[in-house]
Amino acid sequence: MGHLVLPNSGHNRDPEANKMGMWLFLFTELLLFGGLFIVYFVYRSMNSDAFLHASYELDVIIGTINTVILITSSMTIAMSITALQKGNKKLAMYLLWATQAFALAFLVNKYFEWGIKIEHGIFPGLDHYNHMPSGEKLFFFLYYFMTGLHALHIIVGGIFIGVVMKKVQKGEVTGERISLLENSGLYWHLVDLIWIYLFPLFYLIH
Amino acid sequence: MKDDNHPHIVNYKEHFGTWIGLMILTVMTVVVSVTNANLQMLTVLTALTIATTKAVLVAYYYMHLKFDQKIYRIMLWVVMGLFVSFMILTIIDYITR
Repeated sequence: MGHLVLPNSGHNRDPEANKMGMWLFLFTELLLFGGLFIVYFVYRSMNSDAFLHASYELDVIIGTINTVILITSSMTIAMSITALQKGNKKLAMYLLWATQAFALAFLVNKYFEWGIKIEHGIFPGLDHYNHMPSGEKLFFFLYYFMTGLHALHIIVGGIFIGVVMKKVQKGEVTGERISLLENSGLYWHLVDLIWIYLFPLFYLIH
Repeated sequence: MKDDNHPHIVNYKEHFGTWIGLMILTVMTVVVSVTNANLQMLTVLTALTIATTKAVLVAYYYMHLKFDQKIYRIMLWVVMGLFVSFMILTIIDYITR
């Protein structure tokens, strides 16, 4: 039953090292966003009224919908790992497609959310923005920068998952060699984790 | 060493249970924010506490930390401790100027 694997059988795989490498990368991501969160807290403490006022411009409903979407997509990718480990490739693929659909839905929401604000001139360089008090400018600058960087991570995560799906389809990623799928899952959960903090800090601080 | 070849498989129910937990916490944080318009500082603390609870749920269940070797949990808490101390030091700096 494959208990006996020779030390060097031509497959130099080390799932534990794969996972460790992924986690080390995720820590650098945490500190990247962490730095931005510190900037947010400092500016917020210096402009608390302006931040409060500006936060009312954000749509809590869209924010909540996006939160639900991301949490659900985290569940579908976690379940796809379970499915592949149990040997159910078809279900794993369906769940990964679902994850991709949620990622797309998140981005579509984000597109409309940003679009409405830009239409109203709330974007660095536009008219309405230029006439705001400096505290509100800071709020929106941080809002665009942090949610933009997060959206970029969603796009990268979607591409990563797409590559993994191709490999699952071809049988290069299976229940026995699942590291790549697990790592894409870890990345996706990190994107979810960051949103879990972005959502209350920008949308719910009133 | 049998476990090396047979990692813990988290079942669907557990994933769904985690999802339910995350949903309840999301509803809580939205309700607290919408209803308590005046408790500024407290609202922030509540929001951060709920967010951290959600983060721990995601990390321990979805990211498998609960079932992985201890070293991953230790690393995560060390990194978070480092980050929180940076944050507290920066905030103290601004408050005491």
